[in-house]
Amino acid sequence: MDWLLNSSFVQDIPVLAKPALFNLYFALAAIPISFPFALVLALGKNSPNWLLSNFSRGYIYAFRGSPLFVQFFMFYSIALSLNQAYLKPMGIDHIVLHPLFLGPFVLTLNSAAYAAEIFYGALKNVPRGEIEAAKAVGMSGRQTFKAVTWPNMIRLAWPSYTNEVIFLFHATALVYFTLPVINEQKDLMNKAGELFEKDYALFTHYSVAALYFLIISLVLFYISNLINRRLNRHRVQKVSKLKVRPNYVR
Amino acid sequence: MDWQSSIEYITNGKHLAWYASVRFTLIAAVLGALFAVFFGLIGAGLKQSKWSGLRLIGTVYTNMLRGIPDVLFFLFLPLAFEQTVEYFLAQASCTSAELADGSTWPPCADAQWYLTTTEYLLMACVTFGIVYGAFAANVIHGAMQAVPKGQLEAAMAYGFSPKQIFWNIKVRQMWVYALPGLSNVWMLLVKATSLLSLLQIPDIVLWAERLGAANYVAFKGLIHDDWRWKYYLVLFVFYIILAYVSERFFNWLQSRAGRGMIEVR
Repeated sequence: MDWLLNSSFVQDIPVLAKPALFNLYFALAAIPISFPFALVLALGKNSPNWLLSNFSRGYIYAFRGSPLFVQFFMFYSIALSLNQAYLKPMGIDHIVLHPLFLGPFVLTLNSAAYAAEIFYGALKNVPRGEIEAAKAVGMSGRQTFKAVTWPNMIRLAWPSYTNEVIFLFHATALVYFTLPVINEQKDLMNKAGELFEKDYALFTHYSVAALYFLIISLVLFYISNLINRRLNRHRVQKVSKLKVRPNYVR
Repeated sequence: MDWQSSIEYITNGKHLAWYASVRFTLIAAVLGALFAVFFGLIGAGLKQSKWSGLRLIGTVYTNMLRGIPDVLFFLFLPLAFEQTVEYFLAQASCTSAELADGSTWPPCADAQWYLTTTEYLLMACVTFGIVYGAFAANVIHGAMQAVPKGQLEAAMAYGFSPKQIFWNIKVRQMWVYALPGLSNVWMLLVKATSLLSLLQIPDIVLWAERLGAANYVAFKGLIHDDWRWKYYLVLFVFYIILAYVSERFFNWLQSRAGRGMIEVR
């Protein structure tokens, strides 16, 4: 067993544990805001209001059409240019320019656009008959949304949304390529790169980093599967398990 | 700043170099896409191979990106290739004492492989090919399954060999079904080309950083403070336009490829 414990692969595992938490933090900090924002955008895109619909449409198109890498640079440089005039006088420059704030912020804006497109697609696929039935029994618009549209939409969107969350987690690998690294606050890619520059053991460090990404993805996926089962608990047919779909739909 | 000096500013040498660096982005996208289709065909072929070993390789290849980010591969694969080449250079040109030492890499100066921008670009293209080939393989595999069984049976009835059926019917017919998926892969690839600067390729992102940085020295050009956000905003719009043009192109291709077909979306 000693050779195994002494192998650089095993010794890397505790070293990269803390950096993995940074990646997890970026993803988990982004989800609570990006989820409701995506819902608003999806409903906005579906809304009969010309202004609202076109704004949502444009937002979704812009953020899905441009690379996250450029979005990070853009928002960071915008924040920097606002620094002297606005952020410093207001005393919030330390918060806004901090990667632990700016990272999840940009991820939120980006992920919301992708998730909104998913929710919009689900919204369009809510069974028409159920909405008509709700109308027929005299439900108001608000009641219809609460009892019919919303639960159906979430249920339909969930498998794709799961993939979006996993790819949001993968996208956290980009944060520290674009934002400044502060002291020992390093994510997996950073730390793996740093270790690589010390001893050039490329395969070891990067495969441990990849292992962390893989395991956390699987955990996120497992949790999402439990939620999926709950969302579908009323259905008679056996619900097929979630499948990780590749992000070529992203 | 009046409009004349504005035009002078945006057409100075550095800016022209910036516009010219779009070539790296476009080359990486087009060449990367070609490699991706190539690796995609291999991956799809492996996935439906007769031998379980090859099938396993195909499945691992097409699934690896579901759990591991593409950026990791984008850094890892070129470095891995570089190290492998340097390993063989070291075996050929370093002394055995240097090889045994193992504290530095490469073991001796002769084994150092200096890469030019062109070589980095080529490596980036191959890496894009391998990474997005995994997605393309899934798309192509699905599209091959979508080819109507009747056509394959007809080919069999005419006495085509299994190889002929694969190449002349399956591969020939699957493109129409694969196009929507491949267009998604293309969109991802175009966005991924923004990562080229990570491999020290002076692409549009690296130039935007250089041009936008604050300049307080008159002989270096116009004096301005930090203008990076303007340059990144231009890139942001550039990529959106690129996405729009690609979308229009694929829609046109789709309607062209699907003519005479009833079932295709």
